[in-house]
Parts: sequence; structure tokens; C-alpha cells
Amino acid sequence: MIAVFFLSKDTSQKELNSVEQTLKKFHLVTNVRFISSEQALKKFKVDFPELRQIIDNLKINPFPSSLEVSLSEKALTSNEILGFIDEMRNMKGVEDVQFNRDWVEKMQSFSKLTKAIGLFLGGILILASFFIISNVIKLSVFARKDEIEILRLVGASNTFIKTPFLLEGIVLGICGGSLSLLFLFLLVKIFPFYLGSSLGVLNELINFRYLTLSQSLSLVGGGAFIGFSGSLSSLSRFLKI
Amino acid sequence: MIELYHIWKQYQKPHWALSDITLKIRKGDFHFITGPSGSGKTTLLRIVYRELFPTLGQIIIDGRNTLRIPEHRIYKLRRIMGIVFQDFRLLFHRRVFDNVGTVLQVLGTPQKEIRRKVFNALRMVNLQHKMWEYPSRLSYGEQQRVAIARAVVNNPKIILADEPTGNLDPELAFEIMGLFKEINKQGTTIIVATHDRELIRHFGYKILFLQKGKLIGKEGF
Ligand SMILES: Nc1ncnc2c1ncn2[C@@H]1O[C@H](COP(=O)(O)OP(=O)(O)OP(=O)(O)O)[C@@H](O)[C@H]1O
Ligand SMILES: [Mg+2]
Repeated sequence: MIAVFFLSKDTSQKELNSVEQTLKKFHLVTNVRFISSEQALKKFKVDFPELRQIIDNLKINPFPSSLEVSLSEKALTSNEILGFIDEMRNMKGVEDVQFNRDWVEKMQSFSKLTKAIGLFLGGILILASFFIISNVIKLSVFARKDEIEILRLVGASNTFIKTPFLLEGIVLGICGGSLSLLFLFLLVKIFPFYLGSSLGVLNELINFRYLTLSQSLSLVGGGAFIGFSGSLSSLSRFLKI
Repeated sequence: MIELYHIWKQYQKPHWALSDITLKIRKGDFHFITGPSGSGKTTLLRIVYRELFPTLGQIIIDGRNTLRIPEHRIYKLRRIMGIVFQDFRLLFHRRVFDNVGTVLQVLGTPQKEIRRKVFNALRMVNLQHKMWEYPSRLSYGEQQRVAIARAVVNNPKIILADEPTGNLDPELAFEIMGLFKEINKQGTTIIVATHDRELIRHFGYKILFLQKGKLIGKEGF
């Protein structure tokens, strides 16, 4: 995404530098390119040769110089970008900003919506896996009821009896987490094949990518935790010890 | 060591499986409990190791009221006892070695010591050659001896044995009782429930007679 900052005619070199520096410092800005009024004129002549005559007749150069600013993908969904642009608009030397404000606002609300849906689905899935694991452990406890009874009669403590089931839950959780990582991997690999370039700007927004290492680890760790607590809840209900 | 005060137990109305049993067993005593089938011997033992709660009455073991021990600490009581169950209660998908070793495993005993103690216990019941078998491939008499080995493997303070020789030939039965006698000499309190009159007569310890849940007689006190 690109925002263009038009500079006023009487902008001094110093003001230009300060505008450019401020832009470059902002973390969502990836690149700043200065386009002088001469360059703009040249480009116009190349792009619209039929209008060349008119421009030549004008004798003066009507194009202001400008700074073409590339914004990172994150800018679309960032809360800071609109405020930043407004701030820049008021800076000395900046005449006007060309920036698709509507588009950004729509994208931001769309992104909030998808996040909310994601959280909702995620919450449901977490609950579902919790109950599934606690049911698996419940079956496992019932299947080994006699054995547990015998162990208790020969002096096994609760910890001794519970530990294998807790481990089972943790292993289930870790397996679930790792499997979902695998599916995500396949999805990210395969999905773009089907949609191809038709995704267009949506691709930029949805931004198909793998999870980072720390995200992957917390997915697997979260799985382990859900497995542990699912198992624990099942044990406290059905072991009655 | 074991004191029962007015123990009553009812599984279903109107029958009383035990009625008003009061008895004291001192440390180092050896008691036989005998009586016809259904007289309440197993019930009495199950109450002692607290698999069952009595309907009425109190039990003091080693100075503690066992009925007040919460469920999550009951394992401490079981650890001072070695129990031979009438129905053996072996872990059928674990080998003989592990069945006997479980008692030590739950205490966190080092593997090496477990091996030594399990081997010794199995040798006492003449089963060391079946150490790596599964219980389902043993005869009843052999399974019973595994149960006995498990009960004695950790030198418990108390041994409760419910018909420990019920499936053994007379010679082996006497051998096992001899084993209990040796263990008793080292100070272990032992209670054996049995029908076997010959065995009782031969060993001549204290005898409690049960009939229809009542303590109808004592001998040898
Ligand atoms: N789980 C149970 N539910 C209902 N009644 C039971 C239960 N266990 C035992 N009883 C009853 O309690 C009485 C005493 O049973 P118990 O098993 O103590 O007898 P026992 O002296 O051990 O007999 P045996 O010599 O045959 O082993 C019996 O009449 C039996 O029917
Ligand atoms: Mg019985």
C-alpha cells in the first residue's frame, strides 16, 4: 500500500529532510521515495502523451514534488496508521496526502470481525478438545477400574494412580497440537494453489503464512495444558480419590 | 494392634453379614478365623483393610481410627498390610514379577531392590520359575501363591490372608502356613481365614469361630 505526500512549492530542503526522517522513523513505513516536480512532469508526459501539448503550453510545471511512501502490510489493519497520517498532514511542508482512508477503515473493521470470529471458533475448539480429552480419559479410567482398585488395595497413592492418566492426557494434547500444526502447514502449502492469484488484495489481508516458532510452541504447549486439565477434571470426577 | 468394637455389617436388609463383633488382636498374634461358608470371614477382613465400611462400630489399627482416615490417605494403612484376597486380585495383563513388584513400586523402591525382594518372595512360594509368566497362564494354586508372595514381599506389619491355601494341595498348604509361621516369629501380626480344620488343628494358634455373622467362640486364648 502506498501513501503519497505532496509537498508545498516553497518547502525548504530542511523541511523536506525533516518530513522524510519522520516518515522513515515510523515503524509501518517500509520505503520512502522522493519524486521531484520534474520527475513527476516527465512521468506524466510518458503516461499521457496525448496531453503533452497542453502541458507544454503551460510553460510552468504544475506538478508538486512528493514523497511516495510504501507502507507495510500490517498498516492495513493497524490502529496507528490513520492517526499518523493525520499528524503528518499538519506537518510544515506537507501540502496534501493522498491516501485511501476509506479502504483502510473498512479493512480495519473487517479485520476486527475476522479476529472476533477466530477467537470465537478458537474458544469453541478449545472447549471441545477439553471435553473430548476428558472423555477419552474417562473411558480409559473405566477400562482400568479393576486394576486401579487393586493398586489402591496394595498401597498405591493417588499420585501413583493418577500420573499415567495425566501423562496420557498430556500426550493426547501434544499430539492434537502437532497434528493441527501439520494440517496448517498443508493448508498453507495447498490453499494458494487452488485460489491462485484470484485472491488479490485478500491475499495481502489474510496473509497466508506459517505460525512463528513461538506460536507453534505455544500451540503445542497449550494442547499439553488442555490435555492435562481435561484429564485432571475427568480423574477428579470418576476416580473419586 | 487391631481392635474391633461392636462391628455390625449389613449388605442388604434384613440380613446381617456381621453382628456385634468385638475383638482385640495384639501385635505379633496369629489368629485363625473360621466358620462355614457365608459366615462373614471375608466381610470381616474387608472391613479391617477398609475396603468396606461397617454399618456400625469402630476399628482401631495401630492406634488410629481407620474409619476416619480420608480416602486419599488410606494407602498409608494398606502399606502396613499384606493382603491375600480370596479371589487373588492379580493384575492379569502384567507378569508375575510385576504383580509382586507393584507393592514395592508404589513405594518408589529402586529397581534393583525390587528384583531381589520379588525373587526372594517368589522363591518362598516355589514360583521363581514362573516369574515372567502372565497370571492367566498359571493354575489357580499358582495364582494363589503369587498373591501370597505379593502379600509378604514387603515385610508388612500385618498380614490378612483370606483362604490362602484354598486351592493348594495339603502339602503345599502346610508349607505356606509354615512360611506364615516364620514370618509371625519375626513379629508380624497375622490373621488367616480358613475352613481347613486340619490346618487349624495342626498349627494350634488362636481361633475365632464365626457363624451367621456372629462370633460364637474363641479357642487358644
Ligand atoms: N457384596 C455383597 N453384597 C451382598 N451380600 C454380600 C456381599 N458379600 C457378601 N455378602 C453376604 O454376606 C455374607 C457373608 O459373606 P462372606 O463373603 O463374608 O462369607 P465368608 O465367610 O467369607 O464365606 P466363604 O467361606 O464362602 O468365603 C454372605 O451371606 C453373603 O451372601
Ligand atoms: Mg470368604
